[in-house]
Amino acid sequence: MVKYIGKRLVYMFLTMFLIATATFFLMQTLPGSPIASYSKLNESQRAIVEKKYGIDKPKPVQYAIYMKNLAKGDLGTSFVFKGKSVNDLLSTRLKPSMVLGAQAMVFGTLIGILLGMLAALRQNTFWDYGSTFLAILGSSIPSFVFASLLQYWVASQWHLLPVGLWNDGWKSSILPSIALAMGPLAMAARFIRTEMIEVLSSDYITLAKAKGANGFEIAFKHAFRNALIPLITVLGPVTAGLVTGSLVIEQIFAIPGIGEQFVSSIMTNDHATIMGTTLLFSVFLIVVIFIVDILYGIIDPRIRLSGGKG
Amino acid sequence: MQLDKQQLPPEKFERVAIDNESAERITKPSLSFWQDAWLRLRKNKAAVVSIFVLLLLILMAFIGPHLNGHSGDHQEIRHANLPPKIPGIEKLGIFDGVGNMGGQKVDLYEMKKVDEYYWFGTDGLGRDLFTRLWEGTQISLFIAFVASIIDLVIGVAYGGISGYFGGRTDDIMQRIVEILIGIPTLIVVILMILIMDPGIMAIIIAISITGWIGMSRIVRAQILKYKSQEFVLASRTLGAGDGRIITKHLMPNILGIVIINTMFTIPGAIFFEAFLSFIGIGLQPPAASLGTLINDGYKVMEFQPYVLLFPSIVISVLMIAFNLIGDGLRDALDPKMKD
Amino acid sequence: MKRNKMLLLLALSLVLSVVLAACGGKDKTEEKDATPNKESDKGTEQKEEAGEPDAEQVLNLIESAAIPSVDSAIVEDAVGFNVLNNVNEGLYRLNLENVAEPAMAAEEAEVSEDGLTYTFKLRDAKWSDGTDVTAHDFVFAWQRAIDPATGSPYGPFMMSGVIENATAISEEKMDKSELGVVAEDDKTLVVTLERPVPYFLSLMSFGTFYPQNEAFVTAKGDAYATNSDNLLYNGPFVLTEWDGTGDSWVYKKNEQYWDAENVKLDTINVDVVKDSATAIKLYNDGKKDRAGVSGDLALQYSTHAEAIVQPETSVFYFKFNQEKDGKETPLANVNIRKAIAKSFQKEDLADVILANGSIPANFLVPTDFAFDESGKDFRDISGDLLVYDAEEAKEYWQKGLDELGVTELELEILGGDTELSKKMDEYFKAQLEGNLEGLSIKLKEVPFSVRLDLDTNQQYDIQVSGWGPDFQDPISFLDLFVTDGTNNLMSYSNPEYDALIESSKDELALDPAARYDAFAKAEKILIEDDAAIAPIYQRGLLQLQKPYFKGLAVHPFGADYSYKWAYISGKE
Repeated sequence: MVKYIGKRLVYMFLTMFLIATATFFLMQTLPGSPIASYSKLNESQRAIVEKKYGIDKPKPVQYAIYMKNLAKGDLGTSFVFKGKSVNDLLSTRLKPSMVLGAQAMVFGTLIGILLGMLAALRQNTFWDYGSTFLAILGSSIPSFVFASLLQYWVASQWHLLPVGLWNDGWKSSILPSIALAMGPLAMAARFIRTEMIEVLSSDYITLAKAKGANGFEIAFKHAFRNALIPLITVLGPVTAGLVTGSLVIEQIFAIPGIGEQFVSSIMTNDHATIMGTTLLFSVFLIVVIFIVDILYGIIDPRIRLSGGKG
Repeated sequence: MQLDKQQLPPEKFERVAIDNESAERITKPSLSFWQDAWLRLRKNKAAVVSIFVLLLLILMAFIGPHLNGHSGDHQEIRHANLPPKIPGIEKLGIFDGVGNMGGQKVDLYEMKKVDEYYWFGTDGLGRDLFTRLWEGTQISLFIAFVASIIDLVIGVAYGGISGYFGGRTDDIMQRIVEILIGIPTLIVVILMILIMDPGIMAIIIAISITGWIGMSRIVRAQILKYKSQEFVLASRTLGAGDGRIITKHLMPNILGIVIINTMFTIPGAIFFEAFLSFIGIGLQPPAASLGTLINDGYKVMEFQPYVLLFPSIVISVLMIAFNLIGDGLRDALDPKMKD
Repeated sequence: MKRNKMLLLLALSLVLSVVLAACGGKDKTEEKDATPNKESDKGTEQKEEAGEPDAEQVLNLIESAAIPSVDSAIVEDAVGFNVLNNVNEGLYRLNLENVAEPAMAAEEAEVSEDGLTYTFKLRDAKWSDGTDVTAHDFVFAWQRAIDPATGSPYGPFMMSGVIENATAISEEKMDKSELGVVAEDDKTLVVTLERPVPYFLSLMSFGTFYPQNEAFVTAKGDAYATNSDNLLYNGPFVLTEWDGTGDSWVYKKNEQYWDAENVKLDTINVDVVKDSATAIKLYNDGKKDRAGVSGDLALQYSTHAEAIVQPETSVFYFKFNQEKDGKETPLANVNIRKAIAKSFQKEDLADVILANGSIPANFLVPTDFAFDESGKDFRDISGDLLVYDAEEAKEYWQKGLDELGVTELELEILGGDTELSKKMDEYFKAQLEGNLEGLSIKLKEVPFSVRLDLDTNQQYDIQVSGWGPDFQDPISFLDLFVTDGTNNLMSYSNPEYDALIESSKDELALDPAARYDAFAKAEKILIEDDAAIAPIYQRGLLQLQKPYFKGLAVHPFGADYSYKWAYISGKE
């Protein structure tokens, strides 16, 4: 186990290194210069400013400096927010994104599990079709359309919750969380349904039934636990989906989060911030995948984690 | 009560012979794997309906733009922002050309003195939305199909090679995948789009650049499973080469799962294109896709809901159809599900 | 700096898809009339002033983008200048009628006979920490802005050719202490100009010329202006709750402000909302008191009871690139340019597609912006140029094609990537291709930063470009297109045009009437004779504004808004 974790950590590090390198060189090929907004500067000023940002040096040197700073956890200085570090920029925006992501994950997965169980236990009935349809709908309607519908009806028409912004405590987080939760919900519902159906037809459930366990007991004590385990494996893709969703949801609800910042920095060619955000997203995703793998090994004894496993 | 054996006529008895032929006879007609799958798929009503719906949408994507005589990029600026109006149905109180103007319901066709019918209304430049909708569907489907085929080819090749040859090759190839999987797809896609000239090709390449990973993992897992099975061993013993084993023995077995997976990547690609258009780095006008149409409609949702409504319905129906077909195929192709 | 202002504009029409309530306009009231004059402005203003201020004076506003910087030497965007204008103050401030009136200066400046020396007497004013605002603060700030080491985008742009020695200092040929600004004593500031500048006083209301407290700036070092605690304020409001990068901030009334008794608002809460549909929903929900309406929504809201058209002084036009990769483009042919310029219907564009109070433009210098001595609009002096005429366009087109010896042309239109600019581009494509046979248009829509790069390297054929003025003078526009001008970037050159612009700065500088005539002639050469650019429209902004929100000053140049006189009256 320790060996496995050690090996995984090495790969995670390698992945990060490659992502950082790739983003750095991708940035260099982006059309437009990060100091485009400085194009009004005269030559003396330009030279001084370039020196200040360290972009006067040859690319390999810039790369070395960037990686060195990165090793220290320093993401550099924003080109748009004058004199402010990307670390500060992102850290103030981390909280709203985390809150929304966590709420969406918990809410989406829970409802999804319930729907999935309902569908499996009442297979080929109205409940099954209903919840399956809901799950497919959840993954079929583009999240931004769903978000605007929520915003229009729940906030603008019925005045139940705020239209947007991040200044009304927990209330501000409800609608964007729901909009974001549709992805995890759909994924969890479909997954649990499939797994439950499979588990329900297995021998030990038949045995449990034969021994006189009631439906509730079978569903929760026996079937559910075993169906739940594989769900952990999809948490990785679900998380990636949340990151994607946050880009538009935060914009629609005017939430000052990371996703919104990413889109803005692309529009303003703020290279340092684009790189910082990309790295942040990647680290997050890699760590989630890592945790999922470890958890999976711990929860399901049938999975042997060994140094050799891919 | 005793019966005389003699009373039973001998002709009533027949000699039973063990007929090896008939014991082996299969009573049902012989079915290939695909015929069998089709039979089972046919029982799945949702999937069958989905197939018809999908075929209908594809058909509409090609003939739709030519149905009502309006062209998709002709601008009739005085006919801008008209609501839907369909001959016949207009009498029912829907699709009658009545729309919102400054908060009031008015017959905009009358107001603007328009005699023509725009079945799904017009956009802000006076273009016919019905025609544009189907042109958009066409482009969205095109992007999705091409991207999925690229995913499929790269994914199957990569996963196949990795799984079949195993060993060091597999090790290296899987390390690469492991690294790639840590990169948030959307971010890569956005960066790629920024670097390339925007357009259909850029979107397809961007979607494909990481899209094949899922496929390759599935294919590899399947290949690993099958390549150690007896029938492969038998074939190998009989002298079959790698090429024959792959094409004749392994491919047919993984084809099912590959098709299923493709059924799920197609809607994924449609979705992604819509998403890119929404954040403003998708298709370049005047080309329309479902994504750009939805993006246009979303802004005016409150006043001209029809602009959002029709493309949303089409995209949702497409997604649902692909998903249901995918589900149906999965059940149909799964040997465990056999009756 | 003009580039930066252009950034603004573009950026406006750009990314911030929305509320670009950003660039200035002059109307403060419900004038639907697109060409109001100053008198009527004043009239409506007074009418609006009626109404007692409420007890609670809290205003809720939306900005279209976060604040990149509030350091007056560094600011270069609309939001930054707007914030600066409300928390700090220069020698002059634009009043409700958009006339520059003494602010930090106690009285009108004393101007020397030759127009080269301005002497300002400062009033007794304090910084928000209680120290006095002195003439030294101005000297320090101006020197800092011109110092190349500061990297100020607007410093050299605003000062070069205006203030003595500014150009040399910005090129590191002189020390910054040589700048033509001297503090004679704590309260007397003497500015020496390089040449007479008729609009100099209107410059004094511009953010780059605001004072900075040397002791404070030096003490804070790199941390200066990184958040609301690391700033000093001498304007009507102080900035609070701004963390340097955040999407919200709050203005509080500045009790130390010299005119604090006329500032009625206590608090202004600002949030950044980039999606215009969301902004409008917030407005309708009563969370915000003003919201910009953009794109497709404009048509629907134009009849809204609380809709206000805010005319602006930003003008948009096609730039025709005459030289790409060292080679002449087809657009170097004047007939081709004229054909394109005359081949699209501007009224439909303004009424149906923009629908936000924008007006068709047949000019470069906007209407209701610059006035001569007698108050006559420059537009009345210069008139309409290069109006839409499809028939004439076709003739020019044929002539141009013959001269080039071709029958077909493919040209690219480079535009922004916002909803609205995409829609406009589609319209241009249809109009141009429809009227000019053999022309095919390719659209290229890129983010603003990319466009800027393509512009700088002249990698485009036709570009939809815009300009908002930095000060109240036609030269702010006409200076753009002199040979090798910093915003020319399309290889346009006409010696006659250059000579006219040069003469306006030299021998005509002190003769307003002749100067305006020279401008009118230059504009005619630029547009009518050479068709170097093809004007499209002068922008208006459609705004929703709550009826209880009164006294907002909207400026046609420099910063967009002053909240100094704004107040709430009749809210609940």
